[in-house]
Amino acid sequence: MEFDETALGGLIGESQDTHADALRAAREPLRDMVDLGQQARAGGGLDPEENRAFARENSRRLAATARRAGGLLAGAGIIAAVAEFIGRPAFAASGTDVQVLQTASSIEVLAVSTYKTALGLPYIGGSAANPVIKAFATTTLKQHFEHLAAFQAATTALGGAKQGKPDPAFVPVVDNAVAAITRAPAANGPLLVVALALELENIAAETYVNNMSLLSDANAKKLTASIMGVEAQHVAILYAVQALLKAGDAADITLPPPAAKLPAAAGSVGFPNAFYPTSKAAPATQGATS
Amino acid sequence: MSAGDPMHLSEAELRAMSADLDAMHHDLTLPALKSSLAEWTEEIQAGDTRRRGSFARRRFLTVTGGAAGAALLAACSSSSSTTAAVATSAGATASGAAMNGGEGQQLAGDLRVVALAASLENSGIATYAAGIKAATAGQLGTVPPAVVTFAQTAMSQHQDHQKAWNAVLIAAGKQPVTTVDPVVQPTINTAFAKVTNVTGLAKLALLVENTAGETYQNGLSVIKSTAGIKTAASIQPVEFQHAAILNFLLGNYPVPAAFTGVSSARRVSDYQV
Repeated sequence: MEFDETALGGLIGESQDTHADALRAAREPLRDMVDLGQQARAGGGLDPEENRAFARENSRRLAATARRAGGLLAGAGIIAAVAEFIGRPAFAASGTDVQVLQTASSIEVLAVSTYKTALGLPYIGGSAANPVIKAFATTTLKQHFEHLAAFQAATTALGGAKQGKPDPAFVPVVDNAVAAITRAPAANGPLLVVALALELENIAAETYVNNMSLLSDANAKKLTASIMGVEAQHVAILYAVQALLKAGDAADITLPPPAAKLPAAAGSVGFPNAFYPTSKAAPATQGATS
Repeated sequence: MSAGDPMHLSEAELRAMSADLDAMHHDLTLPALKSSLAEWTEEIQAGDTRRRGSFARRRFLTVTGGAAGAALLAACSSSSSTTAAVATSAGATASGAAMNGGEGQQLAGDLRVVALAASLENSGIATYAAGIKAATAGQLGTVPPAVVTFAQTAMSQHQDHQKAWNAVLIAAGKQPVTTVDPVVQPTINTAFAKVTNVTGLAKLALLVENTAGETYQNGLSVIKSTAGIKTAASIQPVEFQHAAILNFLLGNYPVPAAFTGVSSARRVSDYQV
């Protein structure tokens, strides 16, 4: 089936209608959070001891994560970065929900930056790039930007400082991956970009899944729940794209794909887990502001 | 992955890649789920103990503890064969047969959410089972192999979800819910009667997946137990992944919104058990 870029534009337009409905699901909790944040501050603020305990617990989780880290996280520099970070717990001044939301923001900052970089590559964002991959990267960048704005708004609504910096533990990993992508021949570039995007999307999805049982504010939970499934959807599509690229079937990355031509195993490659894992989840305080 | 190595995958290699991902699921995901379910079981048993007193506690642990353990074990293992009966029953329901498993238990609180979730999973299983049956009978025309794999895998994952929820009910001394969702199922049945090809089936499956994902998302605001939240949170993204792949296959943009909503969620309040 031939790709019709105009039709894709229309589909994205339709999806934005759906988005408008879903946006309400994010806006309502944010609006409520503004009210609750004001009440909390009026009531004497946050419990410092509770926050310090939360930070200590997450320092332990950070160390465990570093030991278990797989994929790109196992690359050079990550263990050292995590160890250094453990040595300077900089988060005890904020409420636990604020720290969780700041960490979520820091992951979104990294995702926005990475997709921006990817779209600067000719085989992702150039005129000769696969139009479906280009549209996916463009739309996903926009979605992460919206997630970032939402997490930042939630943070300030709860009385915290907006986090605009990337998660420090993952920065060296992304930097190394981007350097490798830049050096790679163009023929191999798309696979490397997809691998990096997959790593980040999985970290985001798993972190938010994990955060659901850590957050105490009902609206912060609602907001996080409205985002984690979207990151998981990014993962599903990236797995499918990765499989087609690895099979040398980049031409089949169309919307819709030529289903009759696809190998049987392609039908399930996008959702390998019946239950979403959390082994790659960032410790909840890892991206909290100092 | 080396930056200098071009990679090409055969069907066998792609299968191996899927197997690796599946192995990862069993190495990493299932132990975490077991832990959440065990934690929830303990919470439920503790709550039950407070209500019934020490004599009742001993009886509860003796009678339901073994059943809960067995159910947890089943819930956390592969679903390929052990849930065939559920799938068959649910498939029969999709085509009109009646079921009443798990109804009339007067459930409340988290357990009511759990029962709703189990019933919704039964509807998902029923939809895929009926679709696979129709495809096998040649009623949907030519069915691409990738679509067959999608349906089989999605159904298997819904079976895993259903078993997880029912494990919680069993742990609480309740009956597992084996009946389909009473509110959604008539809509599914009506739509399924009009399905004549793979596209129609995919559209119906998309409705089911989005309803399930949104119901879990809504449930996350209702469930009180931390372990219950962990369980629901681990399932919601998977249902939305199914939806993304279905949208992709249908030619829709696969990630249509930056935020998922709850407008199609099944409300706990209208689930009568």
